[in-house]
Amino acid sequence: MVEKRRIELMLCAGTGCVAGGAFQIIEGLEKEIAARGLEKEVSVVQTGCNGFCGQGPLMVVIPDNIFYGWLTLDDIPHLVEEHFLKGRPIEKLMFTPPEEKEVLPMLSDIPFFKKQLLVVLRNKGIIDPEKIDDYIARDGYVAIEKVLTSMSPDEVIEEVKISGLRGRGGAGFPTGVKWKIASQQKKTPKYLIANCDEGDPGAYMDRSLIESDPHAVIEGMFIAGYAIGSSEAFIYMRTEYQLAVDRMKTAISQAREYGLLGKDILGSGFDFDIEIREGSGAFVCGEETSLIHSIEGDIPEPRQRPPFPAQEGLWGCPTVINNVETLANVPVIITRGADWYSGIGTETSKGTKIFSLVGKINNTGLIEVPMGINLRDVIYDIGGGIPDGKEFKAVQTGGPSGGCIPADLLDAPIDFESLQKAGSMMGSGGMIVMDEDTCVVDVSKFFIQFTNDESCGKCVACRDGSEALLEVLTRITNGEGREGDVEFLEELGETIKDASMCGLGQTLPNPVLSTLRYFRDEYEAHIKEKRCPALVCRNLIQYYIDPDKCIGCLKCLKNCPANAILGELKYVHIIDQDKCTKCGQCLEECPPKVSAVIKVTGNDMDDLKQLSEIIPVPKKKKKKKTE
Amino acid sequence: MSLNLEDRKKIGSALVVGGGIGGMQAALDLAESGIKVYMVDNKSSIGGVMSQLDKTFPTNDCAMCTMAPRLVEIGRHKDIEKITLSEVESITGQPGNFTVKIKKQPRYVDEEKCTGCGACVSNCPTRNTVQLQEREVITLEPQYEETVINILQKHKDRKGPLMPILQDVNEVYNYFPEKILKYISQETGYPLTHINRIATFYSAFSLKPIGKHVINVCMGTACYVRGAELLLEKFVDVLGVGIDETTEDMLFTLKSVRCIGCCGLAPVATIGDDVYGKLQSKDIPDIIAKYQKKEQ
Amino acid sequence: MPKLTIEELRKKRESSKKSIYLREGKFRGKVTVHMGTCGIAAGAREIMNTFLDEFDNKDIIDIMLTSSGCAGLCSEEPMVTVEMEDSAPVKYGKLTPDKTKKIFNDHIITGNIVEEFVLGIGSERVG
Ligand SMILES: Cc1cc2nc3c(=O)[nH]c(=O)nc-3n(C[C@H](O)[C@H](O)[C@H](O)COP(=O)(O)O)c2cc1C
Ligand code: FES
Repeated sequence: MVEKRRIELMLCAGTGCVAGGAFQIIEGLEKEIAARGLEKEVSVVQTGCNGFCGQGPLMVVIPDNIFYGWLTLDDIPHLVEEHFLKGRPIEKLMFTPPEEKEVLPMLSDIPFFKKQLLVVLRNKGIIDPEKIDDYIARDGYVAIEKVLTSMSPDEVIEEVKISGLRGRGGAGFPTGVKWKIASQQKKTPKYLIANCDEGDPGAYMDRSLIESDPHAVIEGMFIAGYAIGSSEAFIYMRTEYQLAVDRMKTAISQAREYGLLGKDILGSGFDFDIEIREGSGAFVCGEETSLIHSIEGDIPEPRQRPPFPAQEGLWGCPTVINNVETLANVPVIITRGADWYSGIGTETSKGTKIFSLVGKINNTGLIEVPMGINLRDVIYDIGGGIPDGKEFKAVQTGGPSGGCIPADLLDAPIDFESLQKAGSMMGSGGMIVMDEDTCVVDVSKFFIQFTNDESCGKCVACRDGSEALLEVLTRITNGEGREGDVEFLEELGETIKDASMCGLGQTLPNPVLSTLRYFRDEYEAHIKEKRCPALVCRNLIQYYIDPDKCIGCLKCLKNCPANAILGELKYVHIIDQDKCTKCGQCLEECPPKVSAVIKVTGNDMDDLKQLSEIIPVPKKKKKKKTE
Repeated sequence: MSLNLEDRKKIGSALVVGGGIGGMQAALDLAESGIKVYMVDNKSSIGGVMSQLDKTFPTNDCAMCTMAPRLVEIGRHKDIEKITLSEVESITGQPGNFTVKIKKQPRYVDEEKCTGCGACVSNCPTRNTVQLQEREVITLEPQYEETVINILQKHKDRKGPLMPILQDVNEVYNYFPEKILKYISQETGYPLTHINRIATFYSAFSLKPIGKHVINVCMGTACYVRGAELLLEKFVDVLGVGIDETTEDMLFTLKSVRCIGCCGLAPVATIGDDVYGKLQSKDIPDIIAKYQKKEQ
Repeated sequence: MPKLTIEELRKKRESSKKSIYLREGKFRGKVTVHMGTCGIAAGAREIMNTFLDEFDNKDIIDIMLTSSGCAGLCSEEPMVTVEMEDSAPVKYGKLTPDKTKKIFNDHIITGNIVEEFVLGIGSERVG
């Protein structure tokens, strides 16, 4: 007897929402539902990441399809009584787009979800990732059935080739071709590795994928293994992703129980099993040869290619390494056919891509869109634009290997080629939106700091080159830039690209080169005018209290960690620039109505200085009072 | 020291200690000016370090081309006598008249008669025996031993067991005590140098004990553009320790990480398993205090 | 749990499909029990339970059972609205569990409106 319910509450239990207290909410809901005797009718289902992480903790009420965000424990009794008992949905908890008044009750009305096309994440928020039966019910493991009963390994490879699927791990290598190379190798055994190392800062697609639908990855791995003739597979995951690791463990043991992993699967005589390996916090381990070394227990430094892993990989045997998102595409291709799949996307980039949309954007979260959609749609329609009415400046894609795409290229389609042409790359799918308050020099410095930290140090160009880049960038942001620095950065960048051995070094200068290409004037402002147009670089800015606006409320003075503010109650406050550490606390403290604290840079600083030289004087409050 | 030249009775020979490139040149110069030269070296042959180099700094000259002619010349010079496999034990006397005591190791070959044909080398029955020092056997204290043995046992049959072993040990102890690493090396046969390289490569591993609560401040891109740097500074300020350092009471270790995948909640910090999203620097003192209170 | 064969996997899939049917959002019809304060006072809970049991017994999964607020006709409570595909919504009033069973069997299963309990057909105009 299958249990039926009247209402199901699909509660997101992805890392983001869990951090926001999703488990407590679930517990609270269950208690409240039981207290009202509704447990037969209403059930709570934990799902993987819903994607709209900025609204978490959140849930979707099925079958009405109503979306509730920012839940708190206090909302629960009211919610259960009104909505689940009396059937009156609560507007207060629904989503209201910023800058608008109208609430949007239904999930399907919310623009964030509207323009998405779910292929890989087809089960997100619909199944409980810890229940294999849920996955099976959504046509899960149909693809395994199909390949085992009616397709030869070569036919599988051919199908994947026709579908046009390209690797989602960054480089976009055609997956079918990779499999073909491995399947043609004579040497055995062959290995398969699913890459879920995901070290790019600002990207969490792979983690969410595993958290919401681990069986899709297992099924994809199975098919890849079948195609290349491998019975042993590894999935390499970041240890930081504990929830994902746990879900994967659960999923693997359930699949073993059902005989979908192990020996003689579904009576076909084909064996296949998966072992989880965890990384321990080294970005370079995402690189395929380095990852292989890490699994072998060797020093995880990359090695020269060729031979490619598909020829000589793990323990010297042919090894296919694919990103987990790539693999999760495979079951869909097999069940729905390569022709259906290749109908989505552009000429050279097929299918969909998951992006994590983060940074200065209203709707942060995880999205899946068809290839070829343009950036404007992603940022303004799905992402809901930039918060606080700020100006869009650039979007960074491809993480530390990618680059910035400026506002004029917003109408460019998102696919492998056009991103590359714009000086960036697809990468694993992080999309970090920057507004006018983000300094591109500072961001470049940040990325180089990252790659400099993470460079394994094996080749000189990458190790010392990143060091040299960092030195120059630090100098520029400190206001000590010199004539010729820009040219030096360019030349050095190109050299590092040419001379590095692995992808880390070959792409490390991209953030600098791409920002130089689009925002050269900003670099020059730093160097020539000692001015940071975005008001970020600390040595180039000053905080300043506008004497005409200050009401002498002492708020900033009391909270200044450096005790750098002089003044008394109802006296104009002055910042002692020698003591100021530029932490920005005063700006935060100043009441929004007053907003007397401002940031200034470059020549503007000189214009203001004289004004602030006055010793604290009583401010005539009359003006304010009479108003 | 003022020298009384009258007292000095010069004897016509010199001793050069060390047969490197400098010693060789000195010996040749002396011998060319008609002085009998003794040359002492503790190795079985002269040549020193330069014989092991390819090129020399800063001129990139070929090392062998520089020294080979001198080697040959010394070998031939009638006034240079090489005393190899020897060390100077004592020097007495004063400038102009020294007496030097030299200790010579046995060579088991009559140097007068040897022609350097090499036949003895190829005929020696124990030619390739390497004599190593006895390796010290590591035993762990009972309280460690059981855990570590269990971990080793668990991964015994795995391919590439080293990472899983280290991860499990790290899980238990939070860091790698030196003795345990040595023990692992002894039991698994991985050289200690190799284990050390791995143990220092990954950022999740540490060779120093770390605090009870590890504070990870995310410095990933999303958090960075939303002001994570200020949070980190506040932590440094509140805890009074720098990044990758541990407070004296062993309660907190401060670290920075690159993205923990909660970018939607940026800026983020984690303390142990607790995640703090949309964190503001003014909340930090209270959060720290909460953990400190729990300990009391 | 013994290992599955292909046949068993298929069977498993069919049976699991029912348990997540709600989430697929494909419904043939919708039954709304009006559960405002007045409805609950008049016994709407019982009506809801009856429907739940009937749905269970007959293994119906493609009809949505939901609750909503007061329909505005408090004297006629408990009330339900039955909307089947391609026909106007029908409101029934003053229900009892027995009446409910009849509506379930006649209207929902066989498609014949139970005229004797009908309050009205069609919905209020939204102005
Ligand atoms: C420095 C560096 C880091 C990488 N990190 C990842 C990663 O986190 N996840 C990933 O799937 N691929 C990563 N890659 C790409 C892998 O080397 C490899 O190309 C990819 O896993 C192949 O899978 P695909 O064909 O499915 O894209 C990285 C490459 C480099 C050079
Ligand atoms: S950048 Fe901080 S959690 Fe991703």
